[in-house]
Amino acid sequence: METGVRDIVVGRIDLKRWVQEPRWLLAFSVAMVLCLLTYAINASISEINPGNSWGITYGTFASILMVGDVLYAVRRRMLKYDLGNSKTWVQFHVYGGTLFAVLVLMHSGFRWPVGLMNWVLWSLSLWVTLSGLFGVFLQRWIPTILSSGLSVEVVYERIPELVDQVRICAEKVVEECTDTVKDFYKMNLAGALVAPQSKAIYFVDVTGGIRTMLRTFEYIRPLLTLEEKGKLERLEGMYKTKLELDAHFTIQRPLRWWLYTHVPVSLMLVLLVALHLYVVSVY
Amino acid sequence: MEPGKTQIRRIEQYKDRWSSFGRGTGILDISEKPTPDVLRQYPIFKEFDDKFLEKISPDVSIARWKKNAVLFEEGSYIDIAFFIVSGEVEISLQKDVSGAQQVPIFNRSRTVFVNPGTSVPEERGKTVFQAQVSKQNRSASSITFLSSIDFNLPSEGLIKLGPGEIFGEIGALSGWPQSVTARASVDCDLVQIRVASLRQMRKTSPSLKNRLDALYRERALFSQLKTTPLFSGLSDEVVQSLVQKIELVSYDPDEVIARESEPCDGLYLVRSGFVKLSQRVGEGNIVVSYLPKGGILGDAELLLEGMTGWICTASSKEYCELAKLSRNDFGDVLTKYPGVESLLWNSVVNRLKESGYSKRVVRQSEFIDTALNKGLVEGNSILVIDLNVCTRCDDCVRGCADTHGGIPRFVREGDKLGNFLITRACYHCEDPVCLVGCPTGAIRRADVGDVVEIDDKICIGCHTCANNCPYDAITMLDTGEKWPDDTIPERYRGKERELATKCDLCYKDPAGPACVRSCPHGCAFRVGDIKEFRELLWKPV
Repeated sequence: METGVRDIVVGRIDLKRWVQEPRWLLAFSVAMVLCLLTYAINASISEINPGNSWGITYGTFASILMVGDVLYAVRRRMLKYDLGNSKTWVQFHVYGGTLFAVLVLMHSGFRWPVGLMNWVLWSLSLWVTLSGLFGVFLQRWIPTILSSGLSVEVVYERIPELVDQVRICAEKVVEECTDTVKDFYKMNLAGALVAPQSKAIYFVDVTGGIRTMLRTFEYIRPLLTLEEKGKLERLEGMYKTKLELDAHFTIQRPLRWWLYTHVPVSLMLVLLVALHLYVVSVY
Repeated sequence: MEPGKTQIRRIEQYKDRWSSFGRGTGILDISEKPTPDVLRQYPIFKEFDDKFLEKISPDVSIARWKKNAVLFEEGSYIDIAFFIVSGEVEISLQKDVSGAQQVPIFNRSRTVFVNPGTSVPEERGKTVFQAQVSKQNRSASSITFLSSIDFNLPSEGLIKLGPGEIFGEIGALSGWPQSVTARASVDCDLVQIRVASLRQMRKTSPSLKNRLDALYRERALFSQLKTTPLFSGLSDEVVQSLVQKIELVSYDPDEVIARESEPCDGLYLVRSGFVKLSQRVGEGNIVVSYLPKGGILGDAELLLEGMTGWICTASSKEYCELAKLSRNDFGDVLTKYPGVESLLWNSVVNRLKESGYSKRVVRQSEFIDTALNKGLVEGNSILVIDLNVCTRCDDCVRGCADTHGGIPRFVREGDKLGNFLITRACYHCEDPVCLVGCPTGAIRRADVGDVVEIDDKICIGCHTCANNCPYDAITMLDTGEKWPDDTIPERYRGKERELATKCDLCYKDPAGPACVRSCPHGCAFRVGDIKEFRELLWKPV
């Protein structure tokens, strides 16, 4: 059992939610300090630019780290092999990726790049690092929203199918209802049950958002007989499930979409770095 | 996938849940659903009326077994009790019965009671009984007895049972593995009764209950008491007298065993099942604790000065078998052996602490209730996911699928407890009910820990294990293939071939379960018992 997670649950150190592995943070901080210290001493002795031996050394280290980072993607496709714990790989990916950006800056001597290729490489490196860190932020933040009051737990890919099932069940109940409930269903619920819907309010207050949307049921309830009220309650339950599915759909989506901002750009960066290395070594 | 020789052999053996009827097995003839008139020919059914016998007849079969046929092996889980009509059955502790030509119906399942992943090689080769004694000795909190002893047998012992005798009933009723191997010495006729009907028969007929109790006393109770830390210091004579004094009691699910504040009538020892303990708070009851097998009820009431009534209400969570020692008899034991009292005090203190904590902390009570309802108390390895950390990336499921040929053995769905998701992955239960009734022995204990695995080469997709599993942890997989044209029984030919699949804890992989090591955020855990789970949820008591 991981002590870190236990601490999160107990709520002693909330910081651990954000820093899952303090040892990695410590190692990263030491590496960062060493890099910057080296750079400071180095810069006081001689000028650093991407073309001289110091710059090339920093660039080489950055490239090695980048390769290590890319290997995580390979590891994710080889889960059946015992290549170590995925968590360790992720930690390396995150901290190694950040250190990569620092080494890129050191490689360029903390100066604006010169030339289109260098600009592209520099910008992509920063983009990949920042989008990666944004991803880390999302991965720490979004689970806390999802676990703050939703009773349904669902696999994202199954949401449309489950919404469909809810709709079919709701339609069956409505068939047996009076016109009052039928009209209510048609006006307020039918449209919502067609497909998963994304609503920004879930990011702010997931349970509050659902409660607000369930309020419409209060207006019709006093108009119904006891039997109809029972059916309405069942409908309400189904609608609540649908809203929870919507909440999952809304909240889990950024975790998927974020990858599109990170992965393709990373691949582009890898290719361009390879080209850059080829050009530098040949010419 | 091509059915191999083993599979064909298993399929040939299969007829129904009763047996591996047919070629290569020990059964020569079998008749099912006997009429009341037929049943009444056998002494064991004589006292029951037609209506009752009609009701239980689907659970009864009459089989003729061939000489040397192995009825069941030590370590197998069965849900049948046998009544000998004619012939002779040999009961022994021998693991490999010499001379047996047939494959046993209830395939041997080696039971080693350790946490999954723990390698305890010295456990291998032990009998079920030895393994349980050794497990009990490792558990400091356990001071009471074991259930799985069917016969008082010396290590190389062997006894023969003849017409009119009953066997297999203790393991079947307690849901524990058989502690002996049974073999037909000559051709014999046996009446086979499933456990559900045996329970009804025992409840309806006081004479049958007395007979079963007497058998239990004669065959098992003495050894059980002598190997129990609580009574191991007592002389043989005293234990022998206790054997006669102890009352064996059984309860249906949700039946009240003791009611709060009513007079406490004795000390109860849980032989099988779980007992829920609840206390009155305000106008309702809250669950304060539970007793598993080996638990003691009545210790606090009998030891604390001035306490006469039950501290809590005790009710059975499922079918429970208990042993009761009356207040006076218990007092006699305490007078003669004061050491027993000091052993009991530990359990009293622990239970009172837990009860007090549950009354103060509502979530503790909720936790115990949920653990009992969801079967967490049974689990040896429960996969839980911390939803506060989980990014729903499904790498755990993907890792599982990659390790098992593209088919995941669990889904990331299930019940929530606090911020934890209890997935529908096999719990690898202490008493796995899924093992009961598998006609081919495809589902069994693996060689390591408490792992339960399914051998897909011999699974015939009969759904028995999936239907038995109360936690939906076994799924039926459509293989997309059809049974071959030479399949026996014929009714399978040309039909879709299904396969039961479940988590096997990746026990063959030294790196451990793929679900846990594939989680990029370290939020998937395997918890060995509910204490570990509670530690995850909050600070332990």
